Amino acid sequence: MVLNQQQGRDLVEQVLALSKADSAEVSMASSQNTNIRFANNDLTTNGSIGGLSLTVSSSFGTRSASVTIDRTDGEALKDAVARSEAMAKLAPENPEYMPPLGPQDYAEPKCWDEATASAGMAELAEKVAPVLEASRKAGVKSAGYLERAAVSRISGNSAGLFLYQPETGVDFSVTSRIEEGRGSGWASRQSTAMADIDLAPVGQRAVEKSLASRNAVAAEPGRFPVILEASAARDIVSSLIYELDRRSVDEGRSFLNGLGGLDAVGTEVFGSRATVRSNPGDPRVPSSVADWSGLPAGEETWIENGKLKQLHCGRYWAKHESIDPQSHPSNLLVDGEGKDLAELMGGVEHGFLVTRLWYIRMVQPQTLLLTGLTRDGTFLIENGEIAGPVKNFRFNESPINVLKNLAASGVPERVLGSEGATPMLVPPMLIDGFNLSSVSDAS
Amino acid sequence: MNRRDFLSRASALPLAVGADLVFSQAAGAQQVVDVVAADFERLADVALGAAAMAGAGYADFRIERSRSESISTREQIVRGVSYRESVGCSVRVLVNGTWGFAAGAIGDGDSAVTKLARQAVEVAKGLNSLQAAPVVLEDVPAYRDTWRQKVEIDPFSVPLEEKASLLLELNGTAAKAGANFCSSSVAQVSEEKWFASSHGSRIVQARTRVFPQFTVTVLDEKKGGYATRDSFAPPRGRGFEYLRGYDFSAESALAVEQAKEKMAAPSVTPGAMDLVIAPSNLWLTIHETIGHPTELDRALGYEANYAGTSFATPDKLGELKYASDLVTMVGDRTQATGLSTIGYDDDGVKTDGKEFKIIDSGKFSNYQMAIGQAQKIGRTESNGCAYADGYDAFPIQRMPNISLQPGPEQIAAQELIADVEDGIFIEGNGSWSIDQQRYNFQFTGQVFHRIRGGKIDGMLRDVAYQGNSVDFWRACDGLGGSDSYELGGAFNCGKGQPGQLAPVSHGAVPARFRQINILNTEQEAGKQASRTNAACQANAWC
Repeated sequence: MVLNQQQGRDLVEQVLALSKADSAEVSMASSQNTNIRFANNDLTTNGSIGGLSLTVSSSFGTRSASVTIDRTDGEALKDAVARSEAMAKLAPENPEYMPPLGPQDYAEPKCWDEATASAGMAELAEKVAPVLEASRKAGVKSAGYLERAAVSRISGNSAGLFLYQPETGVDFSVTSRIEEGRGSGWASRQSTAMADIDLAPVGQRAVEKSLASRNAVAAEPGRFPVILEASAARDIVSSLIYELDRRSVDEGRSFLNGLGGLDAVGTEVFGSRATVRSNPGDPRVPSSVADWSGLPAGEETWIENGKLKQLHCGRYWAKHESIDPQSHPSNLLVDGEGKDLAELMGGVEHGFLVTRLWYIRMVQPQTLLLTGLTRDGTFLIENGEIAGPVKNFRFNESPINVLKNLAASGVPERVLGSEGATPMLVPPMLIDGFNLSSVSDAS
Repeated sequence: MNRRDFLSRASALPLAVGADLVFSQAAGAQQVVDVVAADFERLADVALGAAAMAGAGYADFRIERSRSESISTREQIVRGVSYRESVGCSVRVLVNGTWGFAAGAIGDGDSAVTKLARQAVEVAKGLNSLQAAPVVLEDVPAYRDTWRQKVEIDPFSVPLEEKASLLLELNGTAAKAGANFCSSSVAQVSEEKWFASSHGSRIVQARTRVFPQFTVTVLDEKKGGYATRDSFAPPRGRGFEYLRGYDFSAESALAVEQAKEKMAAPSVTPGAMDLVIAPSNLWLTIHETIGHPTELDRALGYEANYAGTSFATPDKLGELKYASDLVTMVGDRTQATGLSTIGYDDDGVKTDGKEFKIIDSGKFSNYQMAIGQAQKIGRTESNGCAYADGYDAFPIQRMPNISLQPGPEQIAAQELIADVEDGIFIEGNGSWSIDQQRYNFQFTGQVFHRIRGGKIDGMLRDVAYQGNSVDFWRACDGLGGSDSYELGGAFNCGKGQPGQLAPVSHGAVPARFRQINILNTEQEAGKQASRTNAACQANAWC
């Protein structure tokens, strides 16, 4: 069951009424998730899952503790409050403790679609059926996952803050593999509303990519122009934005310390084509109107024409530095130049087109060096055209270099990535000198 | 520090089914748990009966309670103290060869579990028209048993003050040794499962795990830059006695010294080098290059859309020379203190006696399996590798403990190093990445000791080793003995859609590998290394 606003408010008040602490905070998430999973063109595991979590955080002075449960009956709430208070009394003083935020001026959340919230398994099956059918017909084997989720997130505290955010979401991704296993293609969609998603073309795209990627040959690794399709681009950009942390810079352990530290803010750390914003109210990628700490998440510019505009900063560190706190972004919008794939490839004499990245990990936080691999459709570009499929590559590259070397970009899309599900609108990007460091035999 | 654990077996304490388990300090859901303990048999009958009535050919019913507590600190500050508890149940059904699954709260008992059973059947029936080949399960014997992991001190019974003091003392030791920052944490988890199947099983199980971690950071105030060193202490399927017996102060002081030395060390010259890898690093390499490739569901394509497939396809079973003759890897769910250790998997398959060699003297010899998979490779039964990470998760094939068996002689790491002219001895796990079919990997570490002329000679920095899984294991030409066996592991191996996290351990001995490709990570990032060890060789002052 997904809690409505009144049910959420009643529960917050019920918990706060039980509290004997100096201050208390309550956060809840109630959800109903329906999913279909398939592999080899056939269903595997499918389910319908209801969930609820309620966290109560109690504080005495600067001593705090939190307890999370998944029940809302009176006895459970009483036990949770009592336990969090008992733990808080035992916890040491925290000099970095911040009292609960008072009421905030939040924007109206825009993440709910009623029809999606009430959609059942039959609607999901109807969406998936043409994907399975197309795969069977094409003689490829597809594996995929469709998930419809309805969630309500509620937070409130003893200082008077209350926020109710209902969200719906539909995530779909599919990987098509040719029978012999020597070719693979992938495509995805993410949306707030089920009606906005037609899965047939998504499935078709994966099928076509898998067929086009048959019999890939090894190409020489090195630094080359690479077109990162939207999914690949989103994984790289998101890994950068979350590193823009003010405290890490002040403490000397940020990648920015090697680029001038705080002096880097306001300067052209990236290439002039790079602009990254966030806006929870953007109807194409609506997202949470608050960050995890309750700070309102507004319309922000993080990078503009290559200039680093600002850093995010938590409440304690903002107070320590006598500056305003800055919330984390809850979505990301990367500007695109609107070029189509042919235009992006047009100027590439010898380079590669990458569908998707995989297993991205930080290798060296000092330089933000990431490693990972290409996957499910990697193609050689010769003289502005696709010349054929190539084996996958491992890359070793920093998102700083990626945005420095951004040579052109396409139309922003809302797709899934391999790392995280933050709503993002990202264009395909042409990157000069992307470091493809070795060949992977994976196909 | 006692960091050795041998292949002794966990003790299962036979109790009557439905007997109350020991839930010290239990709050919140204690009453629910009491009800479950008393009423499990009846709730199981209600749920399985409802599933059968609705049309399920097979059904299982699982109640699960999980508790976790974490405390995290930095310097002399306790940053967070949290406790999480969840109790719920699920019904999994097979209807005309299509799976259906429903999960939710236990609520008022009979009517809640009946509703879930009917919902699971509705899911399966609603999708049956899309199913081309029906799912077929092998028979699993019925068991009526209780299994409880051996724990000396329930971590949930230990006062928070003791945990906070342990961490703050560790941080203080690091600060005294010269760390600019030190963050540390302890996480503890308990799982209690009640499982019933339409085959007739009624199984009650409980297990506990703990994970201490710290990271020290030292800054180079003059030149800028910093270095970190993470703790080597692995997570374990143990109680709080593990933390009381571990010398964190000694390790944190050593970590600071090593971070300082690493920061001042020359940057590595890339190229092929011999490696000796300590168990504190090798466990993760085993996980990625042996563990995941030999999951049968991956090899069959079930994970193609997420975790990936595998180069170790069924046609290579019994044929592929995966590693050198020295290498034998065993999968088990019975190893003492192993994170994957449990009496029965989440398909109800008994694990004792199901230990199996994945690699036998270098040859690929078996897969990890859940129910319904063995028939696809011509075998008859699962080897007990199913796991669901909560009451609301569908059980899928997950890793057992997978461990590199010791060599026949009592060889220590130093003796492996003695036979390396120019190489690196790597300790501690760092960054890791591998492709979706598990060919091309790249790993870093925490500490990279330079080996010259068979001896440790200072440190190197900016090191990553990269290669192909099979080539790498074939290049193994030396193993430590059983005295050098250590058990590493992780709480958070990810797989599946919806995503699930599984705890797993990997035992290893120090091992030597010849001519492995070494990368310089700073050069990979596009910067020219300031001082390479080649330059160092030419300049005696380095």
